[in-house]
Amino acid sequence: MSLMNTLIPSLSRSPARGHAKAAADLGPTVKPAYEIKANDDAFGLTVQLPGVAKDGLDLTAEEGLFRVVGRRAWKQPEGWTALYRESADAPFELVLEYDNAIDVEKIHAELTDGVLRVSLPKAEAIKPRKIAVN
Amino acid sequence: MRLVRYTYPTYRSLAPAPGGFSRSPWSGLETEIDRLFESALGDLTGPADTRFAVDLYEDKDNTYVRAELPGVSRDDINVEMVEDYLTITAARKTPAVAGKGEESFSFSRSVSIPEAVQADKVVAAYENGVLTVTLPKREEAKPKKITVAVK
Repeated sequence: MSLMNTLIPSLSRSPARGHAKAAADLGPTVKPAYEIKANDDAFGLTVQLPGVAKDGLDLTAEEGLFRVVGRRAWKQPEGWTALYRESADAPFELVLEYDNAIDVEKIHAELTDGVLRVSLPKAEAIKPRKIAVN
Repeated sequence: MRLVRYTYPTYRSLAPAPGGFSRSPWSGLETEIDRLFESALGDLTGPADTRFAVDLYEDKDNTYVRAELPGVSRDDINVEMVEDYLTITAARKTPAVAGKGEESFSFSRSVSIPEAVQADKVVAAYENGVLTVTLPKREEAKPKKITVAVK
């Protein structure tokens, strides 16, 4: 049983706990637009987080869940009246399951102009490898 | 990992839909199916997400337009003012990767500005992926207090 749980972390993860903890702190959140590309060595994740600066950004990887939380840096000034709104004030939240596929130590991320680019190197176990035939 | 194309929040997604009486039991399903179609067909028509969210604000001196344009370089943003229409055009270029050349997506949006604007004093700033255009109102458009003497 514990072998199964190590191999497939999502089985041992209780469904309510991880989400409830984060959801309680943030309130309603918006899921940002994102894109994942993969090559042999890593996954490249690009997330659109307009209005988020470095201090509003939280990246966590635990229990097989990679979570991106971006709080918007701009507050509407006092005298402004909103005539028409399409964007929301809610923070961005993106949760991705990776289940042992990523080498968490080597995650590298940068945020420029509201675009977060994360490089998530693949764990050795899932990199494609050639097997020699005798 | 699942790839789900998500559209910008709309009043439907942000506000809980009015429940009960007026909605048929199928309307939740209909909304989901509509959204599925939108996202499926939207991808077919070409580069995704060539629309961006725009907010319109005002205070007594200016009208403000905030556009969410993450990942665009300042040189690729064009802001034009014609009559009472503001047009924002932006191009996002993805850097050339081996195998593909540089891809370029362009988006454009026109917004009508409610009040008369001093066109030569319009300024724009781009921060954290959000473009804020400040349009000062013409003197005659600013709210004025009119005292009325009562005889």
